[in-house]
Amino acid sequence: MLAAISRSDAAAPAHQRTEGEGRIAFARRDGRTVLRDLYQRGAVKLRMPRAAEAEAVLINTAGGLTGGDRLALSVEIDAGARATVTTQACERIYRSLGGAAEIDVAISVAAGGRFDWLPQETILFDRGELRRRLTVDLAPDAAFLAVEAVIFGRHAMGERVHTTVLHDRWRIRRGGSLLFADDLRVDGNADALLAHPAALAGKGAMASLLYTGPEPERHVDAVRAALGDEGGASAFDGKLTARIVADDGLALRRALVPALAALRGAPLPRVWQM
Amino acid sequence: MKFTVVDVGAKAEPPPVSTVPHSVLLSTWLSPGFPVGAFSYSHGLETAIASGEVTTADQLADWIAFLVERGSGWCDALLLAQAWRAAVADDMVRLLDAAELARAMAVSGERQLETTALGDAFLKAAAAGWPSATTERLAGTAGVAYPVAVGATAAAHGVPLAATLAAYLNAFAANLVSVAVRLVPLGQSAGLAVLARLQPLGAAIALLAEAAPLDALGNAAIRSDIAAMRHEVLYSRVFRS
Repeated sequence: MLAAISRSDAAAPAHQRTEGEGRIAFARRDGRTVLRDLYQRGAVKLRMPRAAEAEAVLINTAGGLTGGDRLALSVEIDAGARATVTTQACERIYRSLGGAAEIDVAISVAAGGRFDWLPQETILFDRGELRRRLTVDLAPDAAFLAVEAVIFGRHAMGERVHTTVLHDRWRIRRGGSLLFADDLRVDGNADALLAHPAALAGKGAMASLLYTGPEPERHVDAVRAALGDEGGASAFDGKLTARIVADDGLALRRALVPALAALRGAPLPRVWQM
Repeated sequence: MKFTVVDVGAKAEPPPVSTVPHSVLLSTWLSPGFPVGAFSYSHGLETAIASGEVTTADQLADWIAFLVERGSGWCDALLLAQAWRAAVADDMVRLLDAAELARAMAVSGERQLETTALGDAFLKAAAAGWPSATTERLAGTAGVAYPVAVGATAAAHGVPLAATLAAYLNAFAANLVSVAVRLVPLGQSAGLAVLARLQPLGAAIALLAEAAPLDALGNAAIRSDIAAMRHEVLYSRVFRS
């Protein structure tokens, strides 16, 4: 019986639901950004690498998510503080036995603050289901950078996503009004969907970026150069948007690292360095 | 018997809309002759044609069908429906929320220019012949997205949602077909054949969108978005998006 269960089958065994919640807040004191509040529960852990200033690394101790799992993160950046949160590893979304995994990220950035949300790539496995929400509330003069990268099966490892349910909703408000809204949705027959020329043209990975802050148009050439022929960027209305598709996670990262570095004006967190 | 003084300089009252068939209103508002300037925008299709990705009638039909089913066309349909419902309920807050959301969903500068230029022009043109209190208030906010302008106007004149959605999606497809007819180039007959092929899909998507909640917003047309972004740096451009 046991031998019939293939190890390569990405489904998690019948499992307890993974739940986790993290809250982190940064403030500015004496000209520096300091940790003001930290709360972690369940599968979410937040670590602060000693070498980096005002940088937190989110860890999902469950090592992946499947249907019914739920992670939530809330970030508060006080006036004038600058911080970055990334993730320790790629988030793996395993085959769902029912329902979607849910990830909720809520961010607020007060006057003159800056926050960079730089999670590593999400890897979707066949029949993985993910519903993710990124809700951001920015003061009129706050700066914000976000990336969400998705790998639809690691093709080099023989992994293919035939069906999936992915819904990634972004709602970014600045000064109370909606600055940017995005609803990425790939559901159903992923083979046919992702193969479509208007979608991913069969490529296995994609990412979306948003930057808002002083002079977004100043960065658009650098971002376009970094993203290359399979990416695009546009600066308008006080923001810079960009999207890219790539053959695989490695090609995606090669493009994202210089694009994000340009938008950050600073080196990327260690986990992103290639 | 008294004489009625007719002030010929006053704005003519529109005829009671109930006497005008809905199909006549929709075919007027969404005809290529309605002065919104849709013919200046390619929605990123010019990039896909320039890069050699859309060079045949089949490829064109595939590209447009995807946008209508799972891309900007589908999102426009849901935003139109939201605006229509808000206007029917005379809920100005919800209508302005729909307008804000539609504007924020534009993924690139040219996409935003396209939808708001068409929307503003639509409201202005509709006000000339088909004024309404709702659309007048909506026009007070600059940069109203096209589907929101169309949805609110249709609702204000009692035009049913499903018919409005079908007409809107048909106009969306027809405009992209005309872009390809000019740029690929495709023959006029080949273009019309593509439009005819897309009409059953548009009708089906209109019905789905009529029944769907706003929460069903979703876009998988990532390379179409990228094409719209890359249009900004396309070497030689005929269209404004």
